[in-house]
Amino acid sequence: MVAPGIVDEQPGRERQLVRFLTFGIVVLVAAFALTIRMVYLQLVNGTTYTQLATSNSTIQQAIPSTRGLIYDRNGLLLVSNQPSYTVEIRPSDLPFDQRPTVVAQLASLLKMDPADINSAIDGNPGSTFDLVRIASGVPVATANLIAEEHLDLPGVQVTVDALRHYTEGPLMSQILGYTGAIDATTLKRLSSMGYLPDDLLGRAGVEEAYETQLRGTYGLETIQRDATGRQIQVLSTDRQPVAGDSLTLTIDTKMQQQAQTAVDWAMKASHLKSAVLIAMNPQTGEILAMVSTPTYDDNNFAQGITNAQFQVLLNNPDHPLLNHAISEQFPEGSTYKLVTGSGALADGRLTPTTLVATHPYIQIGADKFWDWNRAGFGRINVVTGFAHSSDTFFYQVAEMLGINRLAYWGHQFGFGAPTGIDLPGEVSGIVPDNQWKQDVFGQPMLPGEVVQSGIGQGFDTATPLQLLNAYAALANGGTLYQPQVVRQITGPDGTVVRPFHPIILHKIAIPASVLTTMREAARRVVTIHHTYNLVNEPFVVAGKTGTAEFGIKDSKGRLPYHNWFVCFIPLHGDVSKPDSQLAIVGFNEDANTIGNSATEMVKYFLQMHFKAKRDLRLFPLMKIGDFYGGN
Amino acid sequence: MGVLKAEPAKIQDWATRSVGAYWKAYDAQLAIYAFLLAGLGLAMSYSSTVVTGVSPLDPSSNFLRGLIWSAIAVVVFLGATLFDYKWLKTFTWPIYLVNLGLLALSLVIGTGVGGAARWIAIGPLQFQFSELAKILMIVVLASYLAQRHDRLGSLRVILGACVLMVPTWILVMLQPDLGTSLVLAGILAGMLFLSGASMKWLAILTGIVIAMIPLAWTYVLRDYQKARLLSFLNPASDPQGAGYQLLQSQIAVGSGGVFGKGLTNGTQDTLAFLPVGDTDFAFARLAEELGFIGAALVFVLFVVLIWRVLMAGYRSEDRFGTLFAAGLASMLLFQLVVNVGMVIGLLPITGIPLPFITRGGASLISLAIGLGILQSINIRQSRAEW
Repeated sequence: MVAPGIVDEQPGRERQLVRFLTFGIVVLVAAFALTIRMVYLQLVNGTTYTQLATSNSTIQQAIPSTRGLIYDRNGLLLVSNQPSYTVEIRPSDLPFDQRPTVVAQLASLLKMDPADINSAIDGNPGSTFDLVRIASGVPVATANLIAEEHLDLPGVQVTVDALRHYTEGPLMSQILGYTGAIDATTLKRLSSMGYLPDDLLGRAGVEEAYETQLRGTYGLETIQRDATGRQIQVLSTDRQPVAGDSLTLTIDTKMQQQAQTAVDWAMKASHLKSAVLIAMNPQTGEILAMVSTPTYDDNNFAQGITNAQFQVLLNNPDHPLLNHAISEQFPEGSTYKLVTGSGALADGRLTPTTLVATHPYIQIGADKFWDWNRAGFGRINVVTGFAHSSDTFFYQVAEMLGINRLAYWGHQFGFGAPTGIDLPGEVSGIVPDNQWKQDVFGQPMLPGEVVQSGIGQGFDTATPLQLLNAYAALANGGTLYQPQVVRQITGPDGTVVRPFHPIILHKIAIPASVLTTMREAARRVVTIHHTYNLVNEPFVVAGKTGTAEFGIKDSKGRLPYHNWFVCFIPLHGDVSKPDSQLAIVGFNEDANTIGNSATEMVKYFLQMHFKAKRDLRLFPLMKIGDFYGGN
Repeated sequence: MGVLKAEPAKIQDWATRSVGAYWKAYDAQLAIYAFLLAGLGLAMSYSSTVVTGVSPLDPSSNFLRGLIWSAIAVVVFLGATLFDYKWLKTFTWPIYLVNLGLLALSLVIGTGVGGAARWIAIGPLQFQFSELAKILMIVVLASYLAQRHDRLGSLRVILGACVLMVPTWILVMLQPDLGTSLVLAGILAGMLFLSGASMKWLAILTGIVIAMIPLAWTYVLRDYQKARLLSFLNPASDPQGAGYQLLQSQIAVGSGGVFGKGLTNGTQDTLAFLPVGDTDFAFARLAEELGFIGAALVFVLFVVLIWRVLMAGYRSEDRFGTLFAAGLASMLLFQLVVNVGMVIGLLPITGIPLPFITRGGASLISLAIGLGILQSINIRQSRAEW
């Protein structure tokens, strides 16, 4: 094959030929090796790599549903959705070495603290492939700027989503609550229900209680995205989202405003830490107004509250984030005499005409239990005892009943158990009996504690709502309703998904006559001027005051106290009929006023509600100073 | 050194032959394979241009640039063919100095990514002289070794070839351009082997080079280069960094399957999962869009092209022609194996372009010069037919 002439021209040609042939073999072996690898990648594992390429570039993502709206009972819009720009980061698309630059750039664009951005990324409850919410409610101009600089900000994306707008702001915050970012524990619990790591969900109030209905059902779409996470196109819509249901509250915004005005006045006039006013329809359990102060603006949460703002709310000793109407429990004081009196009448320990001698104090062992009126009231019946709020009268009635019967009647009136209102965070209060005392303190109730329990002191506690519900049962003739704040649920197409139904907890096992007597007694509280000039108002009020001691005695041996006033308005002014459609409780925490500030607060509310021409508020009673002003 | 000396060119030999005789000696196959490969390269350039939404004939488009470079390359190829390669032996020393001068100029006025000094702007086009340096060094080494064909058994000649390479190598490393410096080493090794140099000394020198790898690791390689090597050994160690390219590149290739996704339909590069998919990883894009069929076609074209180059060398009556072909074949094989090996995860990332497929004017022009010289060698043999 090799021509001799060539060999002649190039001596040593044989060796070179071997080298050339060897080289040729190396070329073939190399090409073969590369081909083998290509076969392995493209033919053997082609499907796997195709899936990897697809999962690289396509991602299934949720299509958020439109959250349901919330209206008051008259159809006034309380919560709407407003478009808002949100800046998010997908950490897996943010190269580690670029993170400081990107975070710094974002911080300056969003006017945020870089530390907040870093903690958002690091505190991300999902995986690094999940979006992390950096800022919500970003101005349009900033959002556009960030979206345009997309390539310089890998992993960052701007999305439009709907933010909750609470039209009444702080007025309704305690009822409505707010939506906020999901936390890691909740996400773990709810991820099977389609919740996403960057999801918002109801965190308090109605927003939390009706989360399922408001949320609706998220849709699902498959999108193609590039390596920086930017969406290129929607490949398919796999499931259409279904909008959430809308809620109609039982709340009457006008009454809520009146309640707020009354509470604000009392807070200011008596320098209160906190106050509650609830109005309810005793015939249905519908809450018409519910104010708890101090409060907060739920819009701050909806727009993404800063850590600093949140800390201020958390560190406030008066708990603005707590709905004091249902989430805190206080001694009922004299308002609890309803239970003691009704129970004794029902158990036959008393008749309406039974007279009991009321001394300045009763003695149990070495201890003296004084009446608030150190002179006593003489021999009186239950109506007079209730009207004057005689302590020694009810000490003796509690002794007659015994602690277990007293506790039984407490439970009958709804104390010691949550009312079941459709709001989160309700507490149950305490109705002590021997078993309870044994469980908690390892000994039965002492005789002194039993008589204390008869006037709602000692171990007894209740939420303002429980107390209101007990008096609502009195007002309606003995039916204990479950209070409700949501009246009706309406589907996205306008059909009523759930109409309003009153929910009866139970009928109190008590003769109607006993309740008639007690309503008479409650009216007598007002008519004997125990509540001063309330009797002069153009509307008929029946109710009970309470001055509930708590805490630690001062240097003069006196305890601080809360003020209560709980009442109902008979429909036609006749307390013998169980026809009231309005019951109210007022509560002033740690009030220590000369008179009962809660009564004045409720009076002010009623004046506004009934459009009374004269203002009968007694401002001097609101002053702080003289303990045991009125009971 | 004074070891290079000009050989008298035999101009009259070929000048007296007819055009038809030249055409018979012309290797049409070589030209066709090269054109096909360049066409595939243009197709990939087209694909990477249109998917970014740029019109293919937009002044800023890489495809248009590729077309312009291709046109220039054809002219250069024909010019190099007409040029009598024997003059190269005469001008070996000036060529060597020009090469060093251009590389030094690149260091002074060159621009590049991340502080590198690689490209020199020529009007709207950029030129990378380290690409040209490969061809020029093949010329220099071929000339050097051809003159010493009778002393190829001595260590002195082998070391002399290495010493000739050192200045070029240093200038390229200073840019820094690890890829080209590796190609230069590959060319040197291939040429020494094909020249018939002593296997004993070649083996010993290879042993010494391997023993010096730890030194190179410590003193020569930059941090990013070390990271690439480490992540090649353990891709999972840094899935977001250097290992990311390796993984995404294999996904691109693998997802191509048998027939590929079709030109411009690749998602890995289009959606930027595959970084630098239009340059060093162009083969990944090709394998994704044209599939196993397209990749195999590339391999076949390279194998037959190298075969034609080797044949030209074998046919050459003078040692310079043989050794020039040896250098060119070594360069093509080395770049094919190292680039494709990198793309398909057999070798670490080194930044070596795949001839014809990776876009780049300097690479194409250098190939045109190299293959043109080869044709010049083909047509200027006394036995003028295949």
